Amino acid sequence: MKRPLLLITGLLYCLFFSIALAGQTDSTAQQEATEVTADEPALISPTLDLVTVQKSDNTIDLKASLKAKIKGTLTFLHSLKIKFYLVTDSAENELGTAITDRNGNAVLNVKAEQVVTNKVGQLYFKAIAAGNKSMEGAEGEVTIKRAILTLTPVKEDSLLSVQVKLVDVGSGTETPVPEITLGIFVKRLFNPLKVGEGATDENGEATIEIPNSLPGDAKGNITLIARLEENDTYGNLEASAIEKWGVPVSDKPEEQPRALWSSHPPLWMLITFAILMVAVWGHYIVIVYELFRLRKEQPVLPGNATNS
Amino acid sequence: MELNSYQQQAFNHQRPFLEKFGKWNWLLTFFFIAWIIAGLYALYLQIAYGHGVTGMRDNVVWGLFIVNFIFFIGLSYAGAIIAGILHLLKLPLGKPIVRLAQMMTIISIVVGPIFILLCVGRFDRLHHLFIYPRIQSPMTWDVMAVLTFFVGAVLFLYIALIKDLAVYRDAGLKGPKWRQWLYKTLSIGYRGGASQKRHLIISQNLLAIIMIPLSIIVASILSWIFGMTLRPGWHSTIFGPYFVLGSLYSGTGVLIVAMWYYRKSHKLENYITDQIFRYMGYAMMVLAAGYGYFTFSEYFTAWFGSEKWDSELIHKLFSPGEYGWWTLFANLAGIILPITIVAIPATRKTNWITAAALIMVIAMWVKRYLIIVPTLETTLLPMQDTRTEYVKYSATWPEWLLTGAGLASFFLFFLLMSKFVTVVPVSGLEETNHKHVHESMPVKKEDIQPA
Repeated sequence: MKRPLLLITGLLYCLFFSIALAGQTDSTAQQEATEVTADEPALISPTLDLVTVQKSDNTIDLKASLKAKIKGTLTFLHSLKIKFYLVTDSAENELGTAITDRNGNAVLNVKAEQVVTNKVGQLYFKAIAAGNKSMEGAEGEVTIKRAILTLTPVKEDSLLSVQVKLVDVGSGTETPVPEITLGIFVKRLFNPLKVGEGATDENGEATIEIPNSLPGDAKGNITLIARLEENDTYGNLEASAIEKWGVPVSDKPEEQPRALWSSHPPLWMLITFAILMVAVWGHYIVIVYELFRLRKEQPVLPGNATNS
Repeated sequence: MELNSYQQQAFNHQRPFLEKFGKWNWLLTFFFIAWIIAGLYALYLQIAYGHGVTGMRDNVVWGLFIVNFIFFIGLSYAGAIIAGILHLLKLPLGKPIVRLAQMMTIISIVVGPIFILLCVGRFDRLHHLFIYPRIQSPMTWDVMAVLTFFVGAVLFLYIALIKDLAVYRDAGLKGPKWRQWLYKTLSIGYRGGASQKRHLIISQNLLAIIMIPLSIIVASILSWIFGMTLRPGWHSTIFGPYFVLGSLYSGTGVLIVAMWYYRKSHKLENYITDQIFRYMGYAMMVLAAGYGYFTFSEYFTAWFGSEKWDSELIHKLFSPGEYGWWTLFANLAGIILPITIVAIPATRKTNWITAAALIMVIAMWVKRYLIIVPTLETTLLPMQDTRTEYVKYSATWPEWLLTGAGLASFFLFFLLMSKFVTVVPVSGLEETNHKHVHESMPVKKEDIQPA
């Protein structure tokens, strides 16, 4: 009589067991395949890129970026020391050190008094990452001319614009730099947003309009940034100013409407849910109450009939 | 607690099964426990090494576990609907099988949700479901629905058991003292007095009335986990009734198999009669026709619309190189076979109906797989990583081991419950049923001509 269950369960488990075994074989094969491809290169060969950003406060940011290709994937090398140098005609002066962050970047801010131009009026910077037992050393260099970029916000009625001026100061005197395209950006949460661009005239000046509907902070402030990017002679230059030209946007979260997507559910949904739960659990409560009443009832019949 | 002669006879017949566990049952118990232990080992691997040991990946995020969850939870809803209907309609022929339906309800609602827990990657955040529920999410609805249903299922079984528990209490069954104490405590002093009967009937009726719509709602909510998402094969307005019908259908199949097994093992031919099997067969046939209609409607609408993603899914489901053979099996064995077996008078027999039901249940499990996996393999966005294991789902041995453990738990609970309560409710059997059975008993099989 008990054979049927044995047959059913036996068949089912034979089926499961055979599939399980097959699955195990597949899994083992995959594991072996992974182990074969798990070889690592003996020594990492990183590359070090060095760029400069000349700022309007007369300081220079030296930005080094350290990365390497590991197992075919570009990887940023973090927590490594980078040494920065200024190379003059006569010596190689160490400016300072910085540690690379999780994106492989290390930044050193250099004051104006720390830098000396060479005999052709240029600044020659060098960055070095020392090697270790798992990585080769890397070196990056950049040569720039000194220049100053200024930004002046101009408001005429409802028209907003910025005047930018680019002058070469490498030779000791201020010489306007013509026919250079500059970009105007507005600081946002992550990267700055480009809102306009213009080329400098013979006086090294350009006037660039900007929109008047940009969202600002709670007071309507926006940060305007003028940039010269990746110029062969001057590298990167940057100047900024804060103006109350934006549309004030509160940083406090607005109260969300009742909707499917918000944190407040639609009212009908709440009501339906509540009605259903109250209806069902209400029944349960009544039923349990009835059971309690049943228990309290005095026995009316002797319990003697079932013994056999 | 008094019984009439027929009820007494039914109790006397089943009494030995309550009093003796037997070598065979011990063997089965150890067998099931061994599978559960093997499953626990797979669970250990999953916790220790993460979900990487399963075949689930970024695209196919659900696999065997969710298939099993839907399967078992569907059985539970079906059991509650069947038991509720049988109770409310007071069908004499339904009395002997109502206990099995209720056992299926409670066991499935315990086993099913375990598979959902196996899908959870962060057990430590499980309580967030209750601390930060999002009432707009079908997941939240499902958690609430399953919990509410679980409480209802426990109450439903318990209330239906009270009369019988009083019988066991008064019968002085052989066995350990704790068992006697449990019968005494759980029967809450029921003696069959008029007032006690009234309280019990009120409770039973209320619960039967609430359990039917509740089962339909919770089965629909389960379907909405899929139906509310904009995925090919899932985003369908008929998914709610489709799931309800599918649950009821597979539940009917499991109930028929359980009836057949206990009829054989407990020698219950006088109670679980051939006539009951035929009626259950008719129910299975009607449900098969309904399920077939829904299935055809689903596939036909998607195919005719020729929408890009739907077409891709339909192609997968019907291509012999992909899921074509499984689709054929699910529809032939899951729909055509039961209809054919029951429709032909020559095969409208207990064993044939049971065999069709068993094959149909397996086919319905495959159907659940076909609902889940091919859709997840049909990604709406272009895939970034096209490694085979990311594109195609293939269940791993820990997943199969845990599936086997779930099935073993299901059988084990059935075995243990049938040793604690009688499979055919003793106090529920009516005199009309008694007469009917006794009248029909002398009639031999050979005397019944096919219609």
